[in-house]
Amino acid sequence: MADAGERVRVLLADEQVLFREAVKVVLSSEADLEVVAEARDGTQAIAEAERARPDVALLDAELPNCDGISATRQIVERLPSCRVVVTSAREDESVLLEAMEAGASGYLSKQAPIVDLIEAARAVHRGEALVPPRMLGALLQRLIQRRRERDDALKFLATLTRREREVLVLLAQGADREGISQHLVISPETARTHVQNLLGKLGVHSRLEAAAFVMQNGLLDDLTEVLT
Amino acid sequence: MSVTLRRGYPARKSGVWLKQSDQENLVFDPEHEAVHLMNATAMAIWVLCDGETTPDEMIDAICQLSGLPREVVLEDVRRILLRFEEADILSWRD
Repeated sequence: MADAGERVRVLLADEQVLFREAVKVVLSSEADLEVVAEARDGTQAIAEAERARPDVALLDAELPNCDGISATRQIVERLPSCRVVVTSAREDESVLLEAMEAGASGYLSKQAPIVDLIEAARAVHRGEALVPPRMLGALLQRLIQRRRERDDALKFLATLTRREREVLVLLAQGADREGISQHLVISPETARTHVQNLLGKLGVHSRLEAAAFVMQNGLLDDLTEVLT
Repeated sequence: MSVTLRRGYPARKSGVWLKQSDQENLVFDPEHEAVHLMNATAMAIWVLCDGETTPDEMIDAICQLSGLPREVVLEDVRRILLRFEEADILSWRD
């Protein structure tokens, strides 16, 4: 992140050349902002973010070759200090929710005046979250719902035996029955029994669904922490 | 000074309706023939007053989104819920 007095380094990703050029001119006229990289698609945005290491990335939600939401997820994962603002031609609640869940710090409709984009870059750089006021309630409802689901999942984990948790971790890491038996030094048949019991308790029908349960609720760290 | 929140689930009173636009958020209460103008934060909390969400859940979500200290958010939520109560547009469920 830039220190006080330094310019905020911005990555600009949008398929439309004209839009990029216009925003670049406006941002560059601000003394505290500097466009250090541009991209026309999601893949290029990720690559440019890694190369230029910007403070702020302004990504269009509808980027080709890896949309803006997926690109946000990858940029935030690879560059945790980079704040992302997702822009969208539509003021769409689902895009906002997906963007924030992917790790974006802000969301801005392209219907907004350009001065809002400038302020958005500054605001997220300061560590603020930027959400259109009309969409704030829906976003908070989604966050609360996610927290409830995670709490329920954690309560469920507490009902599993240590062995079942070990099996669940291995499933989440992509292990098959053979891999589980080797890792836990048990017979394939015993591994099969553990997997069947676990699937029954989870109320799912496949190892893939069990793995999805862990990943969707962000439980892998909790599981491995309990087992170490 | 520590701030405490009332226990239970705040719920919007039935019959009260909302008009939302880019410029303003208005809550109209036909029973008292009153109109309440709300800012963005009050509006978001109003949406969350569904009778199923606790003030603690509201505070956690706002903290998660804003990164603000819990005591600051708690005071805001408490104050806003109190205003809704005083305006008689909010009830509490156990």
